[in-house]
Amino acid sequence: MNVELRNVSKSFGKIEAVKNVDFSQKGGEIHALLGENGAGKSTLMNILGGVLPPDQGEIYLDGKKVVFESPAESLDAGIAFIHQELNLINDLAVYENLFIGRELKRKNGLLDIEAMCQKTEEILNRMEIDLDPKTMVSDLDTSYKQIVEISRALLMNAAVIIMDEPTTSLTGTEIERVFEMMRVLRGQGVGIVFISHKLNEVIQICDRYTILRDGLMVAEGKISEVTTADLARLMVGHKVRTRALQRARDRGHAVLKVEGLMDDKDAFRDISFSVEAGEMLGFTGLLGDGRSELFQSIFGAGEDYSGQIYFEEKPIKIQNPTQALALGIGYLPRNRKENGIIKDMTTLENGTIVIWPQNAKFGFIDFDYQNRLFDTQVKNLNIKMGNKTDLITSLSGGNQQKIVLAKWLNIQPRLLILDNPTQGIDVGAKEEIYDIIHDLADQGVAIIVLFSEAQEVVRVCDRAIVMYHGELNGELVGESMDEHNIMLLATGASLNSMKENNRYD
Amino acid sequence: MISMVKKNGKNLVDWFHDKWRTNLQFSTAVALVLMIVLQTLALGFDFDSPGDWFGTWIQNWINILRNNAGIGIVSLGMTFVILSGGIDLAAGSTVVAVGAFIMVLIDVGPQGILSNLGITGWPVYIIAILLGIMFGALLGAFNGLLITYGKLPPFIATLGTMKIYRSVTQHFMQGYNPEVPKPFLEIASLKIGGQLLMPIIYWLLLAALLYVISVKTTFGRQVTAVGSNEKATRLSGVNVNKIKRRVYMLMGVLVSVAAIVQVSRIGAMDYANAGSGYEMDAISSVIVGGTSMSGGKGTIIGTVLGALIIAVMNNLLNLLGVPPFLREAFKGVIVIGAVLLQKKESNA
Repeated sequence: MNVELRNVSKSFGKIEAVKNVDFSQKGGEIHALLGENGAGKSTLMNILGGVLPPDQGEIYLDGKKVVFESPAESLDAGIAFIHQELNLINDLAVYENLFIGRELKRKNGLLDIEAMCQKTEEILNRMEIDLDPKTMVSDLDTSYKQIVEISRALLMNAAVIIMDEPTTSLTGTEIERVFEMMRVLRGQGVGIVFISHKLNEVIQICDRYTILRDGLMVAEGKISEVTTADLARLMVGHKVRTRALQRARDRGHAVLKVEGLMDDKDAFRDISFSVEAGEMLGFTGLLGDGRSELFQSIFGAGEDYSGQIYFEEKPIKIQNPTQALALGIGYLPRNRKENGIIKDMTTLENGTIVIWPQNAKFGFIDFDYQNRLFDTQVKNLNIKMGNKTDLITSLSGGNQQKIVLAKWLNIQPRLLILDNPTQGIDVGAKEEIYDIIHDLADQGVAIIVLFSEAQEVVRVCDRAIVMYHGELNGELVGESMDEHNIMLLATGASLNSMKENNRYD
Repeated sequence: MISMVKKNGKNLVDWFHDKWRTNLQFSTAVALVLMIVLQTLALGFDFDSPGDWFGTWIQNWINILRNNAGIGIVSLGMTFVILSGGIDLAAGSTVVAVGAFIMVLIDVGPQGILSNLGITGWPVYIIAILLGIMFGALLGAFNGLLITYGKLPPFIATLGTMKIYRSVTQHFMQGYNPEVPKPFLEIASLKIGGQLLMPIIYWLLLAALLYVISVKTTFGRQVTAVGSNEKATRLSGVNVNKIKRRVYMLMGVLVSVAAIVQVSRIGAMDYANAGSGYEMDAISSVIVGGTSMSGGKGTIIGTVLGALIIAVMNNLLNLLGVPPFLREAFKGVIVIGAVLLQKKESNA
């Protein structure tokens, strides 16, 4: 099926989210829809998905004009929108999720489980996926969950599937699995709109691209004719730097030293490392490598552990985040929406919550002090926002993340742990966050940053530790710190050449 | 000239619409004003002697406020509890437990604890009030401990203590009717200008105090943060469990004040029924006042308005001669209506 959006516009109040955009999607084509956060991608796809009515413009399916008044109408017409937050019921089996709301029944009114399982298997086979329909969704990894969502779309005869950042929470092998499935579907004539910030993936899987910037369509064309640098430049409207960001700087004493750490739930074991003042230490690995759990435990927010931690050269055991805060340890968690922002509170409150008790008299918050520190951070971090008493949710993803970062900078941390700080934020904001953390390292802060993408580690970190199944599988510095070696270590291989205490220079 | 008026008129409508949609307290206040207008109409206006009419109107209002002061005070604490993402079903039972405890302390009969210790006069009341409040805080803290250390959902923890607090109180108070000394009754019954205003004064003072705590203090803001996103708040170095325990303790303190007001107003207590339904009435006030049941959103001012709406509605139904059994139904309608309205607004 060919889909065409012609001259579509949509405003929210004074903000024009999409302006006179044309977009066309052919069957059997994987089409990248690119743009920074707020460029209008979601709005455009919400119009196609029947979630929002356009102010102006038309939708054509195979040349025939259609009007969608609800997501259900769009779905009936063969357009399925797979949202970033998957819409599955974890406590039901795969086939039940597929057939929920339109269960197949026997004549006696009971469920025809066999028929549903058989149909589910047919669809999975069509995607060349080997999965038992009776598996509980809660037992599946995120890539299979994506596949179940798409199976549901196929069950409803979807001819065009919109996938909104499907790979953000996937590991390397999982991404490959989803891509394989996408290729199979493409071969069967299904059209896929692929929304992503990961340009290397776009180059790898897509056939065509459309780029939006500030609500306008600024470019479209064949993927085979462009590079990631071209796409990035078109997205932000100017050239994006790609150079390495490491800076030469003096190192201080070991701010954090960890010896033989092992947690009670076996998420990580035998962990020993240290990080110095002014050092930017990267941690990476695949999903299930235990790095997030490790640093949650160190911060006092995770499972209990055995082993020894030295902070500022003193042995210590951090029981809870309150204690970590008092010591001067900052922690920016992964999944901003769930762990980072407090959605019902203002931008100011989100940016100052850790320092409310500072200067408080009889429990009364010193608002002047809070405002002063907050304003300084807003200026230093170049945070773009409206009124500081507006809700945090009124900010773009990148600026929200900067607020979460600002919160910790207020305590002038000695050690800052950042877990996936650039998750789901656009290219420009990413670069700004890299600069901010490098500036902090210049001031002598010890920085530990957890990345899921090898590329980011290589560009940003002084030293990288790669984890595999809860263990440190190797350490990379200098020349040897490249994407290839990171990938090898992350998949459990060891580097044989130049091996010396698992450290590769 | 005409176009000017039109324009101003339109602006006013826009302003109203905007406020109505964006400011929950505004819509609650509008609902309250509407209620008061209806109630004033129902009361009837006497054109011959407006002075007398006004006197009746005021008297009616004093009655309304006084009769609802107990629930009003409990709903202030309930606001904090619900803001933090919790619920307290034990409020009514705590009123009974604290009330009985205080009565045993101040009893001037043979079993009175303080009189047996040889303490008499004003110190009795001061000691009884202080110990009563501490006891309430203790009962609240127990709820808090079950919720934090026991990791029980607040609904279950307080459902349990609701049964425990009342049942144990009833058991120990069997066949025992403490005699409340006259001076203690003054706490609620002291007349100002011939009027029984004390319960109203306690309510309004506590409302003002809790409003300040909720917007100006570290604790108050942390309560809202916990209710909005507990995980992010914990990761911001806030001791979430401590905040929760304090919330339930604060609730216990407010419930104790309500118990003191109740004992000193009536001078006796029916242990099986006193305070029953308090928790639900308090929750209703909080909800009508625009606080979200899932926590993180709500204000003390909203709760005071919510409590007033329910109070005025009761009075209105009374004035209109609606049969007593039907009145609870109207309360239900108000609660459901308020939430439907709030839902619609948040979707808009």
